[in-house]
Amino acid sequence: MLAAVRSATVFGVEGRVVTVEVHVSSGLPAFQIVGLPDEACRESRDRVRAAVLSSGLEWRSCRVTVNLAPSSQRKGGSGLDLAIAVGFLVASGQVPEEAIGEVGFVGELGLDGTVRAVTGVAPMLAAMCIDDGPELRPVVPAQSWREAQGVVGGRARVAGTLREVFAALVGEAPWPEPPDGELVDDEPPLPDLADVRGQRIARLALEVAAAGGHHLLLVGPPGSGKTMLAQRMPGLLPALDPATSLAATMVHSAAGVRLPVGGLVRRAPFRAPHHSSSMVSLVGGGSATLRPGEISLAHGGVLFLDELGEFAPVVLDGLRQPLEEGVIRLARAKVSASLPARFLLVAATNPCPCGGGAPGQCECDDGARLRYLRRLSGPLLDRFDLRVGVERPAVDDLLAEGGGEPTALVAARVATARQRMIDRIGVTNSEIPSARLDELAPLHPDARLLLRNELEGDRLTGRGYHRVRRVARTLADLAGAYDLVSAEQVALAMQMRVRLSVSSRVRAA
Amino acid sequence: MIPDEGFVAALAGVEGMNVHRLAALLRHHPPAEAWEVVCGRVPARGPIANVFAQGEVRAALIAAATKRDPHEVWDLCLHLGVRVIPWGHADYPALLVHDPLPPPVLFTQGDLALLAGRRVAMVGTRNATAAGRHTAKVLGHDLAAAGVHVVSGLARGVDGCAHRGVLSAEGEGRPIAVVASGHDVVYPREHRDLWEAVANCGLLLSEGPPGTAPLGFRFPLRNRIIAALAEVVVVVESRERGGSLLTADDALTRGVPVMAVPGPVGRRAGAGTNQLLRDGAAPVTEADDVLAQLAFQHERAPTPNLDLRVRPRRGDIAAYRLLRQEPRTLDGVALAVGGGLMEVAMSLARLEAGGWIAQADGWFECVGSPLP
Repeated sequence: MLAAVRSATVFGVEGRVVTVEVHVSSGLPAFQIVGLPDEACRESRDRVRAAVLSSGLEWRSCRVTVNLAPSSQRKGGSGLDLAIAVGFLVASGQVPEEAIGEVGFVGELGLDGTVRAVTGVAPMLAAMCIDDGPELRPVVPAQSWREAQGVVGGRARVAGTLREVFAALVGEAPWPEPPDGELVDDEPPLPDLADVRGQRIARLALEVAAAGGHHLLLVGPPGSGKTMLAQRMPGLLPALDPATSLAATMVHSAAGVRLPVGGLVRRAPFRAPHHSSSMVSLVGGGSATLRPGEISLAHGGVLFLDELGEFAPVVLDGLRQPLEEGVIRLARAKVSASLPARFLLVAATNPCPCGGGAPGQCECDDGARLRYLRRLSGPLLDRFDLRVGVERPAVDDLLAEGGGEPTALVAARVATARQRMIDRIGVTNSEIPSARLDELAPLHPDARLLLRNELEGDRLTGRGYHRVRRVARTLADLAGAYDLVSAEQVALAMQMRVRLSVSSRVRAA
Repeated sequence: MIPDEGFVAALAGVEGMNVHRLAALLRHHPPAEAWEVVCGRVPARGPIANVFAQGEVRAALIAAATKRDPHEVWDLCLHLGVRVIPWGHADYPALLVHDPLPPPVLFTQGDLALLAGRRVAMVGTRNATAAGRHTAKVLGHDLAAAGVHVVSGLARGVDGCAHRGVLSAEGEGRPIAVVASGHDVVYPREHRDLWEAVANCGLLLSEGPPGTAPLGFRFPLRNRIIAALAEVVVVVESRERGGSLLTADDALTRGVPVMAVPGPVGRRAGAGTNQLLRDGAAPVTEADDVLAQLAFQHERAPTPNLDLRVRPRRGDIAAYRLLRQEPRTLDGVALAVGGGLMEVAMSLARLEAGGWIAQADGWFECVGSPLP
């Protein structure tokens, strides 16, 4: 007997439909899986057999051949277990073939017949239901209900055990009810900007970065609150738009990161990988399925790199292409994938190995500072529109009653400014092409004079010039100024582009 | 055949050779013979014989010497245009002949006659503040403009700035540099331009032959030559410890007066120079102080030096006065002045454009002579 069951695997952040063909025949007892399964996939033989037996179903001594079509693509993971088991039940005549006509199966089996959650349910369902069969009703593990809900809404069915699946397929019992009672929003509240004392310039930098999509580098000694500030960044960003939200959901699901209630990532993600992170963990890849990395998990949100100088230089340089294009293209010998990676980069670094501080306090000589700064490659440093010095807050600020503005207030300004930018050119200010700056960010004559002085005084490079103008445009948008960018706004934009220096030689713009 | 200088040059670069051994060796042997001694082919005479009596030292010296070829060293000196002047040579600087620890040999590029002129040494920390760099540059410029040669070490920070100041002046004063490495080993590398400029229009001295690496122990030795060549040593900026204070000590043992630029009170950057002042060094706030020490027939300029900078606007002066006290960040200035960030940023931008302040790592510092 032959049966074909619909299932899917995940590759990168995309699901790929897999048809599980099961053939049961007489012959020497054997159980074979063909069609390029990986190790976890091959091991499903033992899980499926045990699960079928422990569910009180019959496993006759027979020859079982499973083919995973298309057989030229490599399949990984344990998500095909349930489909193989159902395929066996159909092929061995325990379940009628009609019952699986419009159903797809995703899930791993335990030896006792439990259906366990797998990573990547959202992209798998997207591939099975949205692209392939609009009528298809997928069966997913109970724990994956949230993910399924985000992609296909109520169409998904859940199953806790293989026995339940069997019962529903043969009509003994209805499909189990989806789990409820956890509709409470369980995302922890975001830290509030009101907790930050003092730090006027850094607060403003966060606001500007959030509004204009400008990458931000915080430079300051240990204990000055760089991490605290960065953690308040996602709260300032508006909720994700539907397309970004779906893309982020796919990434989170494929990487096995827990999704919020409702199954969709709506809030801007915040990812803060440690500086020992490898290239693969950051940009993705690693296995045959090309697992998404931190930069893809930060899609639509913030990637925070603390101690930027401690990251391996090769890892940092790996960020340059995705920063430019918003996607990361991974290619291996046999496979390639492109994963979304449009994130706001927020990084923090000490000014020098000793932690620095006011001029003359630093213990490092020029050589040590130069080596330290050299680790931050010029091209990467140049991607930061905003480079802001952060100092330890003054005692008065720490002790002051009440904090600064709360997140909600700042976020409202950010949202208004963002809307203004989108209305103007459809993208945030950080993406204004240099050629259109004169048209989109016209300068007041005083501002032009100021920039001229800076350029002539060698305190600003050509590249820095364009970046300063974009930041000034954002400052103007936040201030509600529609037309000309004023000299004050340009001056402030320049001061938010700190020169990291040892001597004039290493002045980077 | 190569001249005696070739052998001296080769000897000076042998690993394990030091100032004392080389001096003793050359006192008792002519150079060509001294080379044979070090190669183990001729017995040593005089106190150096005790050194050679130690088997290990002798073996190490012989091993190091057999790796070197005097011809090669001499050819390299000729190729680079480096003069080799052993102690006792007619051109050996008179200033060093009676030094407590005279260099047995000097390698020079440039004009030795500069040592007959007026000479001031300027030294200081490698990790200088913007203010320190500026002071070094201005002092170097003004001294050179007055015809004084400036002796320094071509290190990062104060040393380099002092010589850049000298080179920017259009006076008679020239840069004289004493370096710790060979003439072809530029250290620090970013001073290549400066290094070449000094060799071309000033005087570049070293105790080591071409190829000598800038090892740590050579720097204090180099400092004694700086002190010995100067009539006055000016310490521009130094922490409570540092090479420039060692130079000051060397100067004192040689009877060379030491002067220091006062630093801000309570800040590490000026701790060393302030300590020197407390110990009796004369203060330097402008080049005239040094010129007076040199007993130059020099009248103090009746009016302050012509400052070409445009006087800051009335509104910007508050921020400037604040920065005169200590360096601050934009936040710090805004907090103290009590204005909006944009207005303060604008003020600072104007002050920086005017050359009154400088910014690095987000900190603003005052530079140049203070606003009257």
